Amino acid sequence: MAALKEKRTCGQRCEDFGRFVWNSDNGTLFGRTPEKWVYISLYYVAFYVVMTGLFCLAIWTLMYTLDPYTPDYQDRLPSPGVMVWPDKYDEEHIVITYNSSDKVSVSKMSSCLHNFLGQYNDTLQKDCDHNCTKGKYFMQHNFLPGTHTKESCSFSVSQLGNCSGLHDPTFGYNCDMPCVIIKMNRIINYLPSKNNTQDIQVNCTVLEGEENVKKIEYFPENALMDRSYFPYYGKLAQPNYLNPLVAVRISLTGKRSAKFQCRVVADKITYENIHDPYEGKVVFTLQNLHVPSSPSSVHHHSSTL
Amino acid sequence: MFEMDGDGKGKKSKKEKKKERLEGMKKEMDIFRLFSVHPQGLTSSFASQVLERDGPNALRPPKGTPEYVKFARQLAGGLQCLMWVAASICFIAFGIELARGNLASFDNLYLAITLISVVVVTGCFGYYQEFKSTNIIASFKNLVPQQALVIRDGQKNQINAIDLVVGDLVEIKGGDRVPADIRVIFAQGCKVDNSSLTGESEPQSKTPECTHENPLETRNIAFFSTTCLEGVANGIVINTGDRTIIGRIASLASGVGNEKTPIAIEIEHFVDIIASLAIAFGFTFFVVAMFIGYEFLEAMIFFMAIVVAYVPEGLLATVTVCLSLTAKRLARKNCVVKNLEAVETLGSTSVICSDKTGTLTQNRMTVAHLWFDNHVHAADTTEDQSGQSFDQSSETWRALARIAGLCNRAVFRPDQEGLPVPRRLVVGDASETALLKFTELTIGNIMVYRDRFNKVVEVPFNSTNKFQLSVHELEDPMDLRYLLVMKGAPERILERCSTILIKGQELPLDEHLKESFLTAQMDLGGLGERVLGFCYVYLNEKEFPRGYKFDSDEMNFTTSDLCFAGLISMIDPPRATVPDAVMKCRTAGIRVVMVTGDHPITARAIAANVGIISEGSETVEDIAIRKRIPVEQVNKSDARACVINGGQLKDMSSEDLDEALRSHPEMVFARTSPQQKLIIVESCQRLGSIVAVTGDGVNDSPALKKADIGIAMGIAGSDAAKNAADMILLDDNFASIVTGVEQGRLIFDNLKKSIAYTLTKNIPELTPYLIYITVSVPLPLGCITILFIELATDIVISLAYEKAESDIMNLKPRNPRRDRLVNEALAAYSYFQIGAIQSFAGFTDYFTAMAQEGWYPLMCVGLRAHWENVHLQDMQDSYGQEWTFGQRLYQQYTCYTVFFVSIEICQISDVLIRKTRRLSVFQQGNKVLVSAIVFQLLLGNLLCYCPGMPNIFNFMPIRVQWWFVPVPYGILIFVYDEIRKLGVRRNPGSKRNHQVSNPKNKSSCSQKTPSSPSSRSILLFKTMHSTFQMAILPSRVWMVSEWACSSFCTAWLPGSTTSTRLLSWPPYGPPRTLSPWQPTQIYRGRRTENIEDGRKGRGSPE
Repeated sequence: MAALKEKRTCGQRCEDFGRFVWNSDNGTLFGRTPEKWVYISLYYVAFYVVMTGLFCLAIWTLMYTLDPYTPDYQDRLPSPGVMVWPDKYDEEHIVITYNSSDKVSVSKMSSCLHNFLGQYNDTLQKDCDHNCTKGKYFMQHNFLPGTHTKESCSFSVSQLGNCSGLHDPTFGYNCDMPCVIIKMNRIINYLPSKNNTQDIQVNCTVLEGEENVKKIEYFPENALMDRSYFPYYGKLAQPNYLNPLVAVRISLTGKRSAKFQCRVVADKITYENIHDPYEGKVVFTLQNLHVPSSPSSVHHHSSTL
Repeated sequence: MFEMDGDGKGKKSKKEKKKERLEGMKKEMDIFRLFSVHPQGLTSSFASQVLERDGPNALRPPKGTPEYVKFARQLAGGLQCLMWVAASICFIAFGIELARGNLASFDNLYLAITLISVVVVTGCFGYYQEFKSTNIIASFKNLVPQQALVIRDGQKNQINAIDLVVGDLVEIKGGDRVPADIRVIFAQGCKVDNSSLTGESEPQSKTPECTHENPLETRNIAFFSTTCLEGVANGIVINTGDRTIIGRIASLASGVGNEKTPIAIEIEHFVDIIASLAIAFGFTFFVVAMFIGYEFLEAMIFFMAIVVAYVPEGLLATVTVCLSLTAKRLARKNCVVKNLEAVETLGSTSVICSDKTGTLTQNRMTVAHLWFDNHVHAADTTEDQSGQSFDQSSETWRALARIAGLCNRAVFRPDQEGLPVPRRLVVGDASETALLKFTELTIGNIMVYRDRFNKVVEVPFNSTNKFQLSVHELEDPMDLRYLLVMKGAPERILERCSTILIKGQELPLDEHLKESFLTAQMDLGGLGERVLGFCYVYLNEKEFPRGYKFDSDEMNFTTSDLCFAGLISMIDPPRATVPDAVMKCRTAGIRVVMVTGDHPITARAIAANVGIISEGSETVEDIAIRKRIPVEQVNKSDARACVINGGQLKDMSSEDLDEALRSHPEMVFARTSPQQKLIIVESCQRLGSIVAVTGDGVNDSPALKKADIGIAMGIAGSDAAKNAADMILLDDNFASIVTGVEQGRLIFDNLKKSIAYTLTKNIPELTPYLIYITVSVPLPLGCITILFIELATDIVISLAYEKAESDIMNLKPRNPRRDRLVNEALAAYSYFQIGAIQSFAGFTDYFTAMAQEGWYPLMCVGLRAHWENVHLQDMQDSYGQEWTFGQRLYQQYTCYTVFFVSIEICQISDVLIRKTRRLSVFQQGNKVLVSAIVFQLLLGNLLCYCPGMPNIFNFMPIRVQWWFVPVPYGILIFVYDEIRKLGVRRNPGSKRNHQVSNPKNKSSCSQKTPSSPSSRSILLFKTMHSTFQMAILPSRVWMVSEWACSSFCTAWLPGSTTSTRLLSWPPYGPPRTLSPWQPTQIYRGRRTENIEDGRKGRGSPE
């Protein structure tokens, strides 16, 4: 192997490399004549054009086989996710922190909710309620004649009562009774319960800081998501569909900080998946930084003194 | 060592230093020539002082590499370095991610840990393998301590040889090993076998006279570790331990640097390719990422990730395991490999420099020919006496055998009755041993036979008489004559004869018979054999009655007018398997060069005998004799063979030597010193050959070390030789080398195939990331999944060992400059064509899985930022459904899994195309491969469908139909490559197609049929082929595709300009010519039949 390992200086190497790049003796560029490079490039261009063509054909065929109304599979959507608004996070968890005495903080929260509720504007949802029968799944097996869409029941903000933002544009963030809004994700053809009798209800429990929570109120009443909003038939079939919402008004007291879990209760909604904390439930911390000097705290101070 | 003056001018200073050392040594010898001897020997106290000063009289074992260094070496190969660099890049990337507060991304850390553990685990594996072979070798070491008879304080003592000191008076006798370098001060018929030092099989007699300036040639010095065959001698120890000649030779070996193995060079070359591609790719995408608008740090992480993704993690394991498996296989065939990489070296070997004695020959003088009754008779020289014997019915033969049996002082060592005669130990010199064994085999029970003829007197051989005689009483008690038997140098014997025994009749020795005697003697001598003449006479009972006082010194009896019986010639015969093995080497394009310390005539005779010098080859001298012209006028290039002896070699410059090696294909070097062996090896290496050196003696060890692969003999080999060698033949059989060559070539081919296979999937592993960066789709393939492809499923397949494609032993050894393990062509074909197809397959499956779960392809584009937003729990898909982050993550895992499955499926197709370089897949079958594929699929299924996988290894149970999405692409790969191979087979005109001159193999090679394909594969083959034929052959389409083939052939040939090169497609290696026994007609018949079938099938107008 001695022949393969002659020690060469850097200069020689550079020179060799230079000759490799352009060899004037036989007119080769990087070891080949430019003409040959052209042929090779042409071959590669042709190769990739054909391959891309085949790929496009494959994708086209794929798209051709897809049903525009319903996806072929919903393997990854066994149960809907649940989310809370305002969707404010610290690093990992939802922590809705506000300061009722700070206008900026209040308006941040309220504008978030206003934004979120913007699509629920009553005027946007024209009269589409005629077939909705409350308390029953709104099954539509056929498309509306002529339009290829299906009806969706309207959800007006007014159903959220005190948390609708209509009466109190701050959603209670200027005091100790903030509203949060719970939304369940929509899944095509998904029915949350097996039969027509069980209610789909939001149920919030306090996980930590129970002593700081005075009261939990739900809007609409009974925290119901009406069955007439289900099932969902997809963007194309129900362009006007809006998820039913449930608003929760929480009265804070004491340290004004508590951790909640709001769960959408229905027999087909699972909520114990440790790998997906948002499946069927949402956990969040609500905290009002403004803690008025209350008698209890004074008492506390005096006792330490 | 002593003839190094005038070798090579390149390393002047080194040479000079050696010269100085040499001079010093000679001076030392002179001093000891004058050393006065005290008959009482040294005193014990003085001896112990000297011992303290000089150290024990033993060769210091070469500084063994410490175990941790051996282990560290396992971790520092080319690929290993690549992986270390990759691992550190991973750590850096992880550090950056961590510093940026990205806590979720532990992929880089996992990757780094995996890379390191792969290196360490394979390191352990390789280390264990080498450790085991070291143990095998160690078990061969001679552990019995040597004894020496020393005179100290006026008393003879038996002491351990290691306690000898300079100045000690020692006594040696026949059968002893010389305990140190000694100057002989008294000798009686002392003969020493120097073969372990010089390779000469002729015993050297030792006398007190200084006969030569050169210590190696002089009579009065006996060397450490040589064997005293007979006689007795006293001497003074002049050198002990490492200062002995043998010690110096051994230390010469340790001064020779170790060469890098060819496979290490190949792997470095491969690493270069990988590294430059990785950096080029990484840099391109770094620029692209910066252009798109990523932050610098982010782009840097992309860069690092791309570079790391280029590292073929599984390859190291594949290479190590492949090498180890072959090493194991070789060990079963009696080749123990000390250095794993040496397994392949033998495969690329183009020159074998073989020692003669013990390697090519049996290292045992044996009777080869007899001349009696005016005819030459050949004796059986095989090791196991399986050969043909001559006609033993003649009376002359009986007389000859009786002389040979009686006039012989050698005796068998006791207690060896069970052993076959050739393996019994004998006390006596080599020729007497040969005769003893020969007579034992032909007459039977020679010791008893001798007892029947009572020996009255004998005159041992000496250099002035050049004969040996003994006088015996006859067996028959009534016959009172004495029988005088004599043997010796033929001409001396003839002088003393007046009659000759022909067919049992004593005839007068006339001129005619004398002439035929001379011819016979010359012929046998020309064969390199040692010839002895035998004669006898019955002494007249009147002149020499019973009780006559025979005097061996005065020789008071008839020693002339004897009756000549015949000649017996002896040689150290070649091993039975050697001629065949040499022939195989020649067919395999390997040149066998003999390098020996023995005499030129003997060397040449053996070379001719084993086929190193082939029949009809002439040396310059032969031509000169034949043409009756002076040697200088002979055209050197006419002579195929050449015998160069050490003396000539001394006067040759290295250029002359190179020239000689270049111009004469058949070379024999005789009378060479260890230093010259080294020079010969270096010269071969200068000519670009990969050199294997075989040898057993200490004198071979420097050359063994210098060689690309040193092969030592396990049984006969000295420890020094074994230490210097890379490989050890446990059965001392040259033929085992051929097995080694075959395995080495096979492993090169197989590694090439494995690497081609392993490399391909680098691209489909990389493109997802590139697309992820540039088009911002959700990540299609995760890091852990890649590791699973690399380390779990793929290794299994790449280890499926492929049989030789055609007869690899009929091809020339690979050219280390041209036939690389991985060349740019192979890399380009794997990466940019097959790899590209695989990537397309992966993306098709990816988009299918995404679309069918609700994410349209176009929607995926640019989705990354939202998709990866941990805080977005209601992301809408194409159908308006809302997904939490967790659900999206599982969807991403689904994508990983389908991409994984796509690569697996395409890789099955890939392994099928890689199985053969130019033959169609259907022409070769491999059960191991099939089971490996099944195993791989099962493993894939286990990963996909085993519960718990999603959260441990990010595998999701995917829809069954997604396994089939990549199948069309798999078929595409297969068809594409079959077309390529068809092109290659149709255009075999490559200059790399280097069939070795072997006339029977020059048959046409354009097509080949499966040797024994199953009926189904024939059917498939038929279908495929008829499709090709129909689509391609009748029309011009074929021309186009031919052009395409050739143009895409050129795509990977670096620096090729010739048009032959243009067609020499196979990206990894020469199109190999097929074996002659492949019946081509059958195939042609089938093809025409196919075309007809095809026409019918297509519905012709009739």
